[in-house]
Amino acid sequence: MKEKTEVQQGTVALMVLRTLDVMGSLHGYGIARRIEQISGDLLAVNQGTLYPVLLKLEQEGAIASDWGVSENNRRARFYRLTRAGRKQLEAERRDWQKTADIIARFFVVKAEDLK
Amino acid sequence: MSTRKLFVRIANLVTRNRQEERLRAEIDAHIALQTEENIRSGIPRADARRQALLKFGAVEPMKEAYRDQELIPFFENLLRDLKYGLRILCKSPGFTAVAVVTLALGIGANTAIFSLLDAVLLRPLPYAHPDRLFRLYPVDAKHGPMTSTSYPDFQDWKEQSRSFEATAAYDEQDLTLTGTAEPERLRALCTTPGLFAMLGTRPILGHEFGPNGSRYVALLSYGLWQRRFAGDPAIIGKAIYLDGWAYTVLGVLPPRFYFPPEEMQGRLTAEVFVPATANADRGWNYLRVIGRLAPQVTEQQAQSEMNAIAARSAQAYPSAGHGREIQLAALPDVSAGSMRQTAWILFGAAAFVLLIACGNVANLLFAQGAAREHEIAIRMMVGGSRSRIMRQLLTEGLLLATLGGALAVGLTYWTLPLLAYTVPENTMFFTRIHDVGIHLNPTVLAFSALLVALSVVVFGVLPAWRTARPLQSLRATLRASKLRGALITLEITLSLVLLIGAGLMMRSLVMLLDVDVGFVTHELLTLDISLPAKKYDSPEKQAAFFGEVLERFQSLPSVLSVGAVTDLPLTRNDTWNGFEIPGTKPRKGTAGYHMVSPDYFRTMGIPLISGRQIRDSDSARTPLAGVISRSMAQRYWPNRNPVGETIVVYRFSSALTSKGTSIQWTPQQLEIVGVAGDVRQLGLDDQPGPELYMPYAQWPSDNMSVVLRARTDPWPLIPEALKEIWRVDPEQPVTDVKTMDQWVAKESASRRFALELIGAFALIALILAAVGIYGVVSYWARQRTCEIGIRMALGAEPNQVLHLVVAQGLKPALVGLGLGITAGLALTRFLSSLLYGVKPTDAPTFIVVSLLLTVMVLLASYIPARRATKVDPMVALRYE
Repeated sequence: MKEKTEVQQGTVALMVLRTLDVMGSLHGYGIARRIEQISGDLLAVNQGTLYPVLLKLEQEGAIASDWGVSENNRRARFYRLTRAGRKQLEAERRDWQKTADIIARFFVVKAEDLK
Repeated sequence: MSTRKLFVRIANLVTRNRQEERLRAEIDAHIALQTEENIRSGIPRADARRQALLKFGAVEPMKEAYRDQELIPFFENLLRDLKYGLRILCKSPGFTAVAVVTLALGIGANTAIFSLLDAVLLRPLPYAHPDRLFRLYPVDAKHGPMTSTSYPDFQDWKEQSRSFEATAAYDEQDLTLTGTAEPERLRALCTTPGLFAMLGTRPILGHEFGPNGSRYVALLSYGLWQRRFAGDPAIIGKAIYLDGWAYTVLGVLPPRFYFPPEEMQGRLTAEVFVPATANADRGWNYLRVIGRLAPQVTEQQAQSEMNAIAARSAQAYPSAGHGREIQLAALPDVSAGSMRQTAWILFGAAAFVLLIACGNVANLLFAQGAAREHEIAIRMMVGGSRSRIMRQLLTEGLLLATLGGALAVGLTYWTLPLLAYTVPENTMFFTRIHDVGIHLNPTVLAFSALLVALSVVVFGVLPAWRTARPLQSLRATLRASKLRGALITLEITLSLVLLIGAGLMMRSLVMLLDVDVGFVTHELLTLDISLPAKKYDSPEKQAAFFGEVLERFQSLPSVLSVGAVTDLPLTRNDTWNGFEIPGTKPRKGTAGYHMVSPDYFRTMGIPLISGRQIRDSDSARTPLAGVISRSMAQRYWPNRNPVGETIVVYRFSSALTSKGTSIQWTPQQLEIVGVAGDVRQLGLDDQPGPELYMPYAQWPSDNMSVVLRARTDPWPLIPEALKEIWRVDPEQPVTDVKTMDQWVAKESASRRFALELIGAFALIALILAAVGIYGVVSYWARQRTCEIGIRMALGAEPNQVLHLVVAQGLKPALVGLGLGITAGLALTRFLSSLLYGVKPTDAPTFIVVSLLLTVMVLLASYIPARRATKVDPMVALRYE
């Protein structure tokens, strides 16, 4: 059984990939704000936990980073999706879809269908 | 999980995170952006930052998670790869053994040479800031840079120069130490005061000479103190007897200290240090000058200042023959001497051996990689990435290299004492090793580790890259075998160059030993006698001593004849002096002055060309007579017989005055009575020059070498000879008791040393290349077993199969031969300083060596080829 932190990390990773897919290039703070907006509570606190995930994704080659200048003229590290990252995103999206479908069927099924 | 965490924690201590800075920057940026956002949404400025920090969350645990994330993959994979690699290596012990031994030979050769280099060239001199110490060479108007200068000149330099914060001068002498044990001849250094302070050396006991102290004080080297005086601290203040004079011991110098640092003529370094004598004659050059640059002064500035001083001196004292320049040489450059180039040549040779070893291991890995194709294909299918597999193969290579390196270090540790033993005596190599020791030290070990890493890159990368290919296409297989062939070509090229080098050196040595020295070196015993000035204070006493010793020697049973001479040939000694040829147009010349006994030429076997020899009748009462060498006759009296001619020679006399020793040159007339054959005075590779031989009865000397020609081997004569000397004077020490053949051997010692090492490397290279060829051809033959079976079943003769297989080894080897010859022609010029009588492009050597290598290649290919022909075609056809 996977640990809760690993599950969370997995979902956060997916969110990061999707965010970059939609928004193009973003810095760490931008990614955190976007995820907070969409997911509600998940990254309202402990935004710092985003950074190990970013590192892991970068090590795996799913995202790439570079120094740039943010909107208020600060130096910030900008992340973008790589081709491998896009493929990974697609693959994971299919996996999640499949899982969701299966689980949904379980919730639709009634007691008598299982006899 | 906990062990992994522990491992990661330890790793955290070791590695430094550059990523840490990046993370900190990102956190700062994030917090700043959040703070601004907070301000924009109305939160008061004071609170904004605090709230931003709260929202970010705990930083430290996050940082740890970040760090964990970084290091886990790397170390986990490394550990896994190492364990797997070890298992693989243990599964094929034969392969592992061959690879490890091959690498050990390559790395070991380099480590050994590097230790030698480290002991001799890389270790700093035992003085403070040796790169600020310079030797000063006065440039003579006629002869160029000279090693020594006179005392008055030294005084001038010392007083007039501002670029040097300290200067000192020194001279060398041999003194006899007498006392409780048997008399011993020591090398002594005579220095002006302040030398040791300038070098930054302080005596461990006592103190050094002061500027106005007595002449008869001495400092002992640490080695002498231990050896002769049992390390007794009470030696300070006591007297020791050098050449009969009592010297008070002022102090003892530290261990590992030696001076002078330059290569001396075959002598070990000085063991006793006494004050230099001051000699007021500006033409008497005996002091070597050394100075320490003042702070902030550059070499160029010092050079120009000294040149100016020299120019002034040349103007003020025109008769002293000074040039207008003084050359500076940094001490570290001076001290390396001739051995520096040899050391680098040896280093190059060792590097070749390593490259060949790596070539062999690469081929081995190629072969092994092909055998593991299945395993790797499966791993790739199950999802392993190519880079992971490559990393794993490289780790295996690293494991091999580390094992090879460890074995190499062990081997070197055992063979280094042997290596130190073969180092020739009359070189700086020997002195340094003798004083400083040659052993494995951290520098050498670090060098070995570097070699290990380099080897992995050289032999590991290519096979790993090739082996990790997903599927072998046919073209790729062909390319692979071409690659193997290329490696063989490289190995042959390198081996050939090494063999050519060794061959050239061997020829040089033979030529050197074959050279005509001008006299017969066999069955000749020599010994050196230096009479102490105190006891033999008059020329008559000196002449009488030698006369009696020579008579006694003549009466010994197996002695054919005896003679005596100052400055024995082949000992790198000569005393040059001027002479004049009077006439309407007087000419000046220079010759080596020698004092000889009447039978000297006969004993040495030097032929007489015209006139007569020195006779007993030439005595102190008869007119001065002399015999000159053939080259002197040819140079100064071309086309004429000089017998009967008169020249003016200068008799040397010295007297101790209040100002110091004063030297006098008294001109005297001398008649040339004979011309003798040339000898090589300085060494085997020296050109014969003008030598003048005078009867010692007319020119007594306190230091002469006595030579005895024996009927057979002269060595057993030594005890009798010594006994006779001690019957004349029981306290007289005798030194340098050697046969002439031993002197000859000493002369060729450094060349022989280089030859031994290069020869050993060439041999190792040859063996490794042979093993490499054998391996590649065997492998090729085994791969083609099926094809060979078919050919034989279809009627191919065994000879044809033989030719086919041998050609596999021969083809790349021939290319290698061609490349090797080209490379040899280009590279052997670096050997030219070691060669004698042989051109670097000597054709016979190249031809012979190439033939030798070809024969080796044929042999190495023949054995697996023969095995291939023995295969039963039916078995071969079924071979998969």
